[in-house]
Amino acid sequence: MAHALEPGLASYIAKRMPDAGDIAVSALERISGGASRETYRFRLDWREGGEARSRKLILRRDPPASLINTERRVEFEAYRAFAGSTVPVPEMLWLEEGSEALGHPFFIAEELTGYQAAPQMLFAGGYDAVLPKVADRKWTILGEIAKADAIALGLDQWMPPPALDACASRELAHWEAILDSDEAEPLPIARAAIRWLKANPPPPAQKLSVVHGDYRTGNFLYDAAGGIHGVLDWEMAHLGDPLEDLGWGFNPVWQFGRGLEGGLLVRDQAIAIWERASGLRADPAALHWWTLFNCVKGQAIWVGSARAFIDGGNREPIMVYPAWWLLNAQDRAILKVMGRL
Amino acid sequence: MTPQVPAVLAELAQLLMRNAVPGVPDAERASALGLSAMLLGIAAETWDGAAHNLVQENRALRTLLALTGEDGDLHLSILRAENERLRGLLIDAQIAAETAGDTARQDAIWAELLASTERRLLSVSLV
Repeated sequence: MAHALEPGLASYIAKRMPDAGDIAVSALERISGGASRETYRFRLDWREGGEARSRKLILRRDPPASLINTERRVEFEAYRAFAGSTVPVPEMLWLEEGSEALGHPFFIAEELTGYQAAPQMLFAGGYDAVLPKVADRKWTILGEIAKADAIALGLDQWMPPPALDACASRELAHWEAILDSDEAEPLPIARAAIRWLKANPPPPAQKLSVVHGDYRTGNFLYDAAGGIHGVLDWEMAHLGDPLEDLGWGFNPVWQFGRGLEGGLLVRDQAIAIWERASGLRADPAALHWWTLFNCVKGQAIWVGSARAFIDGGNREPIMVYPAWWLLNAQDRAILKVMGRL
Repeated sequence: MTPQVPAVLAELAQLLMRNAVPGVPDAERASALGLSAMLLGIAAETWDGAAHNLVQENRALRTLLALTGEDGDLHLSILRAENERLRGLLIDAQIAAETAGDTARQDAIWAELLASTERRLLSVSLV
């Protein structure tokens, strides 16, 4: 049975491909996960220049309510900025900011096939021999994102650039406000962390960088040889302190219970790879601040998913799972980073 | 847990009914059922100890906050509302201890916060 979105999607693409004929969308199916966007894969067939062609593509559509509320243009432009660079990303094709075509805004991108993203598979044993290579690639690519010139990439058009000494306060204020609006119960551990972060601000950012915002194991595509072929989920991308992304990956929840950063590597080695690739320095005190900050950010995201469910905006189980699975784990991560666990 | 278990179970019941009829794409059905199974597993794990843990924690918080009272109504929703009230007061108490530089009081509050995460610890916890 054809998916209900297929006719509307084919009609939309036909308008974007005026030289193509016989456009057909098939095999559209939703990919599991994806609490911030609905993600589908599909096959596009068409005729052009007398030849039959086909391509596997991805549809990323806004849900009715999300655990994070972000502009899809920011995500689209972040992907586009790194196309053809040393940071591997899928090709972006079309961005639709209106709701007429498919009910909600969306974009369409190339599907990178033949790779895996799931941490569970990466850590199931079959990839053990290549984990050091995955780790090296992971933090090398993050260093390359940090090294990139955000202004030369044109991303300041879509992402407001903060002053170097305002990166930390801006991000903290943003995520504290989300906790204020979304929390459904008192969060004494997160609130204590916020007070500590305010009382102990980090030094100004050493440069203005592109911050991916969710760079962790699980958000890149890897292969059996340990290569990384796509960095995904740029919906929280912004300009800011390059240490922010490094700190997000050091949030203890992303150790997946393995006692290694990202489940892959001891911290000092990860930092050394990142410093080599970025040409920047990870000041230990500043990195500690950003790691604790990212624990608070994580808590705000999990609280946001619960709020989307409670308010009825999105009643899908994917909105409950982060809250049930991670709220207490994130509290424990905060205690750990603060030296209380 | 937040969202509260009864609301989630009610939603999962509807989701399972929707997925019991023909015509749901295989991938979407697999995703819905897989997530539902994981949530049911967490609900099952927390079921037996839920009231016990809330009573225990409310008692510990009252002691820490020098409050009197007992949990007379053992409905989870009532216990939870009281727990939220007490945890709100705990935040105020912690701020007061920080402002006063009372490190002994701060340590006592941190010890209770650590204990609270142990009460809520899941077998699938990442930390």
